[in-house]
Amino acid sequence: MTVDKVTLEILKNHCRAAAESMAFTLYRTAHSTFVKETEDFTTGLTTPDGETFATPVELGATWFVGLNYGTVIRMIDHYDEGDICMTNDPYSGHVCTHSPDMHIWKPVFHDGEIVCFVVGHIHNTDVGGAVPASISRTLSEVHQEGIRIPPAKVVKRGEFNQELIDVMLANVRMPEQNWGDLKAQIAAMNTGERRVHEMIAKFGVETFKAGIAGLLDYAESQARAIMATLPDGDYFFSDYLDEDAAGGFPCRIALTLRIRGETCELDFTGSDPQIESSVNMPTGGQPRHALLMVGFVYILYSLDPTLFLNSGVCRVATSVLPEGTIVNPQFPAAVGLRTLSVQRLQGVIFGAFVQAAPDRLPSSPASGGPIMNVNTIDNRTGRRVMAATGPITGGAGGNPYRDGTEGSGANASFLKNTPVEVNEAEVPFKILRYGLTLDSGGAGKHRGGNAIEMVFQAHAPNTRVTARNRDRTRFSSWGVLGGRAGSHSRFVLNPGSDRETNLGNIDILTIGPGDVVHIGSGGAGGWGDPLEREPEAVLRDVRRGFVSQAAAERDYGVVLFDGKVDEEATRRRREAMAVDTARTGGFFDYGAQRTAFEEVWTAANYDALTDVLSGLPVHWRFFVKHRIFEAIDDLDRDARRGDGSEVRAVFARVVDRYPQLKSAI
Amino acid sequence: MGVRVGVDIGGTFTDFCVFDEEKRDLWTMKVLSTPDRPGTEVMNGLAEIEKRYGVAPADIGYFTHGTTVGVNTVIQRRGITLCLLTTRGFEDVLEVARLKMPDPYDLFSARPEPLVTRDRVFSIDERILFDGTVDLPLDEASVEAAIEGIRSVGGEGVVVALLHAYRNPAHEERVAEILRTRAPDLTVTCASDVWPVIREYERTSTAVVAGYVQGRVAHYLGSLQEALASAGVPAEPMITKSNGGVMTAEIGKSACAQMLLSGTASGVIGAASVAAETGAAAAMSLDIGGTSADVAIIRDGTPQYGVGEMIGEFPIYIPTVSVTSIGEGGGSIAWVDPHGVLKVGPESAGSNPGPACYGRGGTRAAITDAFVVCGFLGQSALGYSAVSMRTDLARKAVGEIADALGKGLEETAESIIHVAVSGMYLEVSKLVSRHGIDPRDLSLIAFGGAGPMMACFFARELGMREVVVPRVPGVLSAFGGLIADIKNDFIRTVYLDMVPGALDEIRSGYAGLRDAATAWIREEHGYDGPVTLLYSADMRYRGQSYEIETAIEAGWIEAGDLDAMAGAFHVAHERIYEHADIDAPVQLINLRLVVVGTPPKPHIAPAETSAAAPVPRATVPVYYDGAHHDAAVYSRAELFAGQSFSGPAIITQDDCTTCMPGGFTATVDAMGNLTLIRED
Repeated sequence: MTVDKVTLEILKNHCRAAAESMAFTLYRTAHSTFVKETEDFTTGLTTPDGETFATPVELGATWFVGLNYGTVIRMIDHYDEGDICMTNDPYSGHVCTHSPDMHIWKPVFHDGEIVCFVVGHIHNTDVGGAVPASISRTLSEVHQEGIRIPPAKVVKRGEFNQELIDVMLANVRMPEQNWGDLKAQIAAMNTGERRVHEMIAKFGVETFKAGIAGLLDYAESQARAIMATLPDGDYFFSDYLDEDAAGGFPCRIALTLRIRGETCELDFTGSDPQIESSVNMPTGGQPRHALLMVGFVYILYSLDPTLFLNSGVCRVATSVLPEGTIVNPQFPAAVGLRTLSVQRLQGVIFGAFVQAAPDRLPSSPASGGPIMNVNTIDNRTGRRVMAATGPITGGAGGNPYRDGTEGSGANASFLKNTPVEVNEAEVPFKILRYGLTLDSGGAGKHRGGNAIEMVFQAHAPNTRVTARNRDRTRFSSWGVLGGRAGSHSRFVLNPGSDRETNLGNIDILTIGPGDVVHIGSGGAGGWGDPLEREPEAVLRDVRRGFVSQAAAERDYGVVLFDGKVDEEATRRRREAMAVDTARTGGFFDYGAQRTAFEEVWTAANYDALTDVLSGLPVHWRFFVKHRIFEAIDDLDRDARRGDGSEVRAVFARVVDRYPQLKSAI
Repeated sequence: MGVRVGVDIGGTFTDFCVFDEEKRDLWTMKVLSTPDRPGTEVMNGLAEIEKRYGVAPADIGYFTHGTTVGVNTVIQRRGITLCLLTTRGFEDVLEVARLKMPDPYDLFSARPEPLVTRDRVFSIDERILFDGTVDLPLDEASVEAAIEGIRSVGGEGVVVALLHAYRNPAHEERVAEILRTRAPDLTVTCASDVWPVIREYERTSTAVVAGYVQGRVAHYLGSLQEALASAGVPAEPMITKSNGGVMTAEIGKSACAQMLLSGTASGVIGAASVAAETGAAAAMSLDIGGTSADVAIIRDGTPQYGVGEMIGEFPIYIPTVSVTSIGEGGGSIAWVDPHGVLKVGPESAGSNPGPACYGRGGTRAAITDAFVVCGFLGQSALGYSAVSMRTDLARKAVGEIADALGKGLEETAESIIHVAVSGMYLEVSKLVSRHGIDPRDLSLIAFGGAGPMMACFFARELGMREVVVPRVPGVLSAFGGLIADIKNDFIRTVYLDMVPGALDEIRSGYAGLRDAATAWIREEHGYDGPVTLLYSADMRYRGQSYEIETAIEAGWIEAGDLDAMAGAFHVAHERIYEHADIDAPVQLINLRLVVVGTPPKPHIAPAETSAAAPVPRATVPVYYDGAHHDAAVYSRAELFAGQSFSGPAIITQDDCTTCMPGGFTATVDAMGNLTLIRED
């Protein structure tokens, strides 16, 4: 049976309403402030096979549109009416992608038959393990990241499985919060189940069953229509995390996007080996894993915001995920901080797609940026205070239509800041500045959005500042079509004093009374040639304090005099700049540091690296990568050819040096 | 004895509700709005009322007025060239806002350009800390420099919004004083005057919207005062407020931030009075116009209040009747997407050209056209004959959709209605889930031009059992103004832990609010009738970032009973979030006080009763549930209290049409409300 297109639209609205109602119920009844502040949760409805056919868009995380619960659904061998199952194990079915995420699903029965599942997850503040909140970049095995519950029934035929709940609560630091949030999740499941029964009463069970298949098909056909507007071709893009360990080497995520008609393939061959810290992405090698699809869904939705969001969208894509890499790590690699790498991965997907449609897509956003916490002592009460002081984000990339948004946007649009006044009421410190960073957005015909910066002063000794997800102090957000890269992120202690210290990518810091900290995100990339930017737009930016007069002249060739555009001087300067072919690179501008890095680590060299590492056992790869990088760094300039030969030569020396490796190969 | 007149200006029509105190009778009138000449429609309407009901201007002893002039100023960006002064280091407050974007899935999603762009923001050297102490004294030279800056950008007005000024406004007040002396031509708005609450973006944004519309609103109210006076209306006009109350036009000239959502709020006040009349414990108001539907929750005859309501693209954070706006109205347009799926909205034909059936050049099928094709509309003219129905044009427009879908004409029209209603269901479903309400327990109060048209279909979708169409559904906002109280809100941020040591500050804080409230209603407003003071406090558990406004009793403050205050918070938390933690430390963020003056209310005469069966004027064919039915057409004016009839039926009146499919039974209650009960 197929459902007619009118009923389909009505059913679609009811299914979305069910998913949204589940989200509002969860949000309303959740206990932990973390859930309310970050909205790091989701709800949804899936087919009996686990395909998500409806998700909320008003509330919750944006990452789980394409989530497929099939693997975990099948790990439970029998369902009775009233059962609810849960798991937070990143290595059981790969639905959960780090241990704080508790995923839960409930079958909805009609006349003894499962017609769909209601599902959802919540990010628990803590699930035990080595560190409070369970996530730290320094962890290397999933076992350190808290208790893991493989798929199991938490409710059996309407009765709580108290033994399982007790085991979980005995292993976490704030059990009353986990218990409260679990109850909120269960309330959301029950809301969803009730709504499904109402839909079946309204539409009839056969229409409902055919209709949910129709909704997946509808999203798929919309996605196909969008893909058909993109030219066929192979588009390669890569980007790096600054470090694969504290003080380590860059970590590359590489993608070859192959667009063929209405479909595409995302081939991640060339991505670095899995690493000894918690930024691995546990996809289980599933070609449509939700973590891989986030960036893809952003692209399609941005090209056509009428797209109905469900996993039907993802049917038009597939992926290649070499095992033992950062995009498909082997057990028991730690995964807690995969947020950092998933954001970079989204950017890599944007970079591949923008080559296919540069006139329809933006340049690189600044992406996430650190979530900052301050832990200090109130001098008035002697009490220790710990508070989240908000995300430090950057803007959106310039796009074909206008400048990127300032301070936030694109794939970091869901975050909310904490007001300065509330921060100062909660935390005994003083904020000296909170606003946008001058000249941080990449220059362009349409400028990249500027970054956020916060400058604050501590009042007490032993004040600890943590800033999860720090990156981009070395490699920048890229610009396209002549648009320039955005600025680097910053973390500086006592700026402008003789004790100034650049903290690089450090994410934990202890400071004392009077110390001043400057923390800032990177800026977003620009779109199009800055020389094509209207001089009046540049003047406006200068007046608004977004671009300095010096940068107006240096980057845009716009000469200002006495608060106005000096048209003659501008014409002359732009003409002079236009003939300087070194000014603009190729399609992308990656920023000076990446350009310098890739003079050593050419495409051929990196291919050689990927090639030799992929031939090694997984547990050797990270180690050998570091030895190769060290040796390449030590090479004389004239020994470098950039054709891969020096990498192979260095690798041969490493093999010689470690006889254990030879026997492992 | 005199006559009371309530006026509400909407996008298309200006609504009048007239109450004759002698006859205790309610009359209504609609005239076309004149957005280019605001105020003209008021005088036009008064002339029509005189013509039709014989009410002379000199008879008008009470006059209330709701206007969209403030909202339109923001939407059309026609306010003054406004500047902003902030504490140095925090100039980007409007640019950064709260970071979050409207559509998190869209890489292009953007915030609107602020009403004060960054080149018109100037820095003041000063710093007040969280506890109100001065960390850096005000550097008056920086104010002088700011004035130069304001001059250089041609500023006409300025908002002063300094950090922590809600706690200590001394610096803002001094800056304002310097501005008034040195630049007396500039309008000056201090954020701590508009709504002195913690959170700098929210406070600044509110003050900026206020400062932006100030000139235009004040000018409008001044002209209205003059026009009414010269027409011989003796009453001092009262302006309806976003909080559901009223204030004098004179106060409104400086407190224009409080009247931005006046029409929407007074519609809910009108609906709340209907809910109280019918005895509904919980109700939902549904006000559908040409482009949008406004929905609000009413409990025990009282609307819900909130902050953060949108004025155009900008939120303001003063207490406002909480209304959810859905982008679907009678003018929403139906279309078929490239995959053959029928959609309705978000595009709207609005009021100009309006739906095809208006015959004003609209060619695309709107929801109203679908009702015409199904036979529910077109039985009489709409809006006091301001609009006549072109059935042929509606059929032509819907016919194009029918061709695209490959369906029959009437079947298509019904499909448009169902898709539109399911879209409303989606939005309302979020609202009721947010409040934890079961819609089946709600009585639906339907009004606005298209509310009674769609209400039964809407009620069926949500499983609601009862629909109430008030006596004056087309002018309920104007009616709401007539019955509204005099009302003002006061707030003080204290940010205290609920411990015994906090008591002195709580007591002195409330005493300050009480003094301010009394001064406002007695002196500023000049009201000498009975006054009620409503105390409440914004509280939360430590670590939370959102507060619950909790009603408290004055006696608790006097007795120093902090446990009672905390206890009330635990109960409120339990009610809203379904859990409470009586051992967790409670924070008290804001003290609040509402002052309410209750002028004598109109006593409307009960409707005439009749034991006879109602007599339909005609029987017409209608189409719904996939089949043709015969519907009786009743004139509302010919229905009497106690009468009852079953659907399908159409009830016409001057200002709107009620569409009732089969499965509903209508009863006229003692006050003349039409109650439609859905059978199970």
